[in-house]
Amino acid sequence: MKKVSENWTHALTSGTCSASLFPEFETRAKNAAAEVFRVKTAAEAKEVIANLVKYTNARKVVAVDSPLQQAAGINATLTDLGVSLYTEQADIAEHAESADIGISAVEFGIAESGSVCQDALAFESRLVSMLPPLHIVFMNSNRIVPGITEAMETIAKVYDRGYISFITGPSRTADIERVLTIGVHGPSRFVIIAVDEEVNGGKQ
Amino acid sequence: MEANNRNIKNEIQEKLQDEVLRGALSRFAEAYPISRAKAYENVADIEALREQVRQMKMSAVADIENLADKFEAEAAKRGAKVFRAKDGNALKEYLINLCKEKNVKRIVKSKSMASEEIHLNHDLETAGLHVKETDLGEWIISLAGHKPSHMVMPAIHLNREQVAGYFSKELKQEIPTDIPFMVQAARQALRGEFLEADMGISGANFGIAENGAIGLVTNEGNARLVTTLPRVHVVIIGYEKLIPTIKDAAPILRTLPRNATGQLMTSYMTMTSGVTPVMVKQDGKWVEQDKELHIILFDNGRLQAAHDDKFKEIYQCVRCASCLNVCPVYTIVGGHVYGHIYAGGIGAILTAFLNSMGDFEKINELCIGCRKCVEICPGKIDIPHLIEELRAKAVKEHGLPFGVKAVVENVLSNRKVFHTLLRLAAIGQKPFQSGRVIRHLPLFLAGMAKDRSLPAVADVPFRDRVSKVTRKINQPVKKIAFFSGCNIDFIFPETGESVYKVLQDLNMEVVFPEEQSCCGKPVLGMGDRETAKRIAKKNIEAFEATGADAILSACPTCAETWHQTYIELFEDEPAWKARAEKIGHKVCEFTSFVAKEYQKAGRLVKTAGNVKVTYHDSCHMKRGLGIYTEPRQLLEAANGYELVEMKDCDKCCGMAGAFGVKYTELSMPILKQKITNIKASAAEIVAVACPACMMQIQGGLDKQLPNVKIKHVAEILAENIKE
Ligand code: SF4
Ligand code: SF4
Repeated sequence: MKKVSENWTHALTSGTCSASLFPEFETRAKNAAAEVFRVKTAAEAKEVIANLVKYTNARKVVAVDSPLQQAAGINATLTDLGVSLYTEQADIAEHAESADIGISAVEFGIAESGSVCQDALAFESRLVSMLPPLHIVFMNSNRIVPGITEAMETIAKVYDRGYISFITGPSRTADIERVLTIGVHGPSRFVIIAVDEEVNGGKQ
Repeated sequence: MEANNRNIKNEIQEKLQDEVLRGALSRFAEAYPISRAKAYENVADIEALREQVRQMKMSAVADIENLADKFEAEAAKRGAKVFRAKDGNALKEYLINLCKEKNVKRIVKSKSMASEEIHLNHDLETAGLHVKETDLGEWIISLAGHKPSHMVMPAIHLNREQVAGYFSKELKQEIPTDIPFMVQAARQALRGEFLEADMGISGANFGIAENGAIGLVTNEGNARLVTTLPRVHVVIIGYEKLIPTIKDAAPILRTLPRNATGQLMTSYMTMTSGVTPVMVKQDGKWVEQDKELHIILFDNGRLQAAHDDKFKEIYQCVRCASCLNVCPVYTIVGGHVYGHIYAGGIGAILTAFLNSMGDFEKINELCIGCRKCVEICPGKIDIPHLIEELRAKAVKEHGLPFGVKAVVENVLSNRKVFHTLLRLAAIGQKPFQSGRVIRHLPLFLAGMAKDRSLPAVADVPFRDRVSKVTRKINQPVKKIAFFSGCNIDFIFPETGESVYKVLQDLNMEVVFPEEQSCCGKPVLGMGDRETAKRIAKKNIEAFEATGADAILSACPTCAETWHQTYIELFEDEPAWKARAEKIGHKVCEFTSFVAKEYQKAGRLVKTAGNVKVTYHDSCHMKRGLGIYTEPRQLLEAANGYELVEMKDCDKCCGMAGAFGVKYTELSMPILKQKITNIKASAAEIVAVACPACMMQIQGGLDKQLPNVKIKHVAEILAENIKE
C-alpha cells in the first residue's frame, strides 16, 4: 500500500509522543463523538471487532492492511464471522460504497483535539475511511502527541508530498438550524481501537 | 456585477421583519460566545496564540510574491499544474477549457468562497456542465437560489421547514422536516454525484509554499470526497491563503475550528500535495492512475491589497466568520444586506477589494465601531479601523455626499459657527431639529427617533457654566485641563459640573480652554480626514497653551481620539505628529484617573449600600481603552450603592455616533436588548462612563423603563462629596 512515509515510527519516537497522553486524547476524542476502545494486546482487539460486527449486523467489510491488524489476526476473525471481507485494492474500489464497515490504521493521535492522523496517500485507505457508515481505525496507544503544533512538527519530518488527514470523530453537520447531526458524507460512527502492545515492522 | 442602485434601507427593513432570520441569529448570538470560550479552555495563552497567527500571516503577506513563486514551483515539481488567474474571467476561461480538454461533464464542488465571489457555478452551467455543491449548507442555498448569508454557515437564514421545501422540490418527493432525515436524504442524493463526477473543485484553507500542499478543514467530509473520487482535482486558492511552512499551519488549525464552530478540530483536516493516486474503472476493471491536479492561484484584487500598507492586514483573516457572530449589526440583519458574498465588517472590507469600492460604499455604514470583532478575531484584524480607512478613501475619491459636505466643511470645522448653531438649537429645539442642517449633524442630534426620546440640547452649555463651578484651589496638587467633548458641553453639562467637583475635591486646579471644539471623531467616522485634521490642530494648540499636568476627558471616544487618532492623522506631518504624541500622553480618561487618585488617598474601599447600580461598559471604554475595572471600583466605593452586574454588560448600546441616528431601525433593536438586560439586573441606576451611551440608554429608559435612571460615574462620585 502506498504511503506518504515509511518513517512515521522514527518521526514519532524522536519527538514528544507519549503513552501518558492517552487519557487526555481519549477524553477529547470521545467529546468529538469518537468511540474509543483501549486494549492491551493486539489479540484482544479481535473481540472488539467481533462485537462491532455483531451489533451492527455487518455483512460486508473493506479493510486496508496494517501491521497492527495483522498481529491481531483481524482478517481471520472477520472471515470466521462469515462477513465478506475485501482487502485488495481493486476489490476495495468496487465494494467500499456498499460495505458496512471500513477498517484502516492511523499513525498517531493528538491529545489536544482527540484527532488521529492518517497517512492517506493510498486511494483505498481514503475509500474505507469515507464511504462505509462505520469506520474503525487501529492505532498504538503510545503514539500520542500533545498538540496540533507537535503534530505538524511530526508531519514536517516525513512529509514531502501526498495525502494526509486528521480525523476527529464522525462526519457531522450543523447546517440546518445549527442542529448537530452526525453522518453526512462520511461515516456516522468512528471507532478507535488503541493497542498498548507495540507492534512494529512491515508486512510479512 | 450587482446593481449599484440598491436601497439598503428597504433591504434592512425586510430583514428586520424576517422572523426566521431574527430568531436564528439571536439564538446563535447567545450560544456562540459560550461554545467558543469552551473550545479555548485547553489553550493556555489565547492572546499569544492569536499573536502567533497575526505574526505568521503578516510575514506571509510581506513576502507574498516569493511565497507564490515558491508555492507554484513546489506544486509543479510534484506534478500539479498551476495557473495564476488575474480575475474571474481568466479563471473561468481556464476552467471551462480544461473541462473541454479533459472531457469533463460532471463536477462536484466543496466549499469555495472564492468561486462564489465570481459566481462560478453560473458560468459553468451556462457552458453546459453539470455542477453540484456538496457542502450541505451550500447545496441548500444553491437549491434556494440564495447567496450565502454567513461564511461558515451559509444557510443560517433558513429554517427546517424552508429547507424541507427546497429538498422536496429537488428530490421530487415529500421530505419531512426531521433534520436527521433531511441530512440522510442529502447524503444519498449527493453520494451518487461524488461517484459519477469527473472533476472535483475545492477551495483551500491554506497553501504551503515549502511543498505546494493545500489544506482543507471540513466537518461533513465532502472535501475529502471531492479531492479523492473524481479523476481531476481543481483547487481554487486565493493568495491570502499562502503560508511558508507546514508548521505555520498549526496556529491556523488551532484557532480556525475553535473560532468558527467552537470545535477543537473539525471532523476532517486534509493536507494534500502533488498528484495522488486515483482509481477509475476501465472496461469493467479498476485501474490506478495519477490524478490530474490543477491549482488556480486567484488574484481578483488580492494582490493590490497585499501591496497596500494598510489593507494588507486583510491577509490575517482565516475566514472563521467569528467576527460576524459577535457583531451587533450582523446579528440583527444577517449577511444578505452586505450585498455581495462576504458578510459582516470583514465582508465589507473584502467586498471593497474583491468586488468594488462602489459596493463597499453602499454598506460602509453597517459598522458601529464597537470593536467586538477585534477582540475575537484570530488574526487580530482591526476591522472598524480598516472600515474607517476605506471611508476615508471613498471620501478622497469622490467627496462627501452633498449636504453632509456642506455641514462638515462649513459648520463642524468652524468651532464658532458650530457652537452658535448649537446654542440656537437650544433655543428653538423643535423647529430646528427637523431642519436639514441638524439632521446631518453627525453627533447626538436629530429628530428622527421614534422609540427613543431625544436628549434636548442644554439651555446653558457647559462652557458657559465653567466660571460658576470653578473654585479657587490653594496650592493645587495638579493642574488639569478639561476636554469636555460636544456631548458634555451641549447635552450633559451637569456631567461636566460633576467632573469639576470631583477633581477640585482632590485639590486640583481645573481649567477649560475656550478654544476647544469637537474631538473630530464623527467627522473622521464619515471619512473626512482633512476636516478632522483641522479640528485636531485647533484642539492641540488650545491645550498646549494651558501648560496643564494632565488633560482629562469624561468621554472615552474623545480620550481614544486624543491618544491614537490624532497621531495617526498626522502620519505625513511629522512636526504635528510629534506634538500630537506629546500631548496625547497627557490625556487621561476620567474614571481611571480618579480611581488612581482615590486609591492613593485611601478612598477606594468597598462600602455597603442598598441602591442597586449596574454598569454599562461602553465599547470605546472597554475595548478601545481597556478600562473596565476602575469604574466598577469607584461604584463599589460610592456610599449608598451596591454594584450588580447585568448580562452582556459590554455589548454595544447601539448609539455609535451617527449610526444610531441614521440607522435608527438597527440601533433600536440593539438598544432594546440593552434595556432588557438592565431590567433583568433589577438595578435602579445605570452607571456609564460615556456620554454617548448615556444619551442612547437614557432615551431607551425614558420610553421603556422610566423608573430606572442613568448617571455618569462622575455624577455618582459628585453626590458623595459634601459642599
Ligand atoms: S466593530 Fe462592531 S459593528 Fe463593526 S464590524 Fe466589528 S463587531 Fe461589527
Ligand atoms: S476577520 Fe478575523 S474573525 Fe473575521 S473571519 Fe477573518 S479571521 Fe475570522
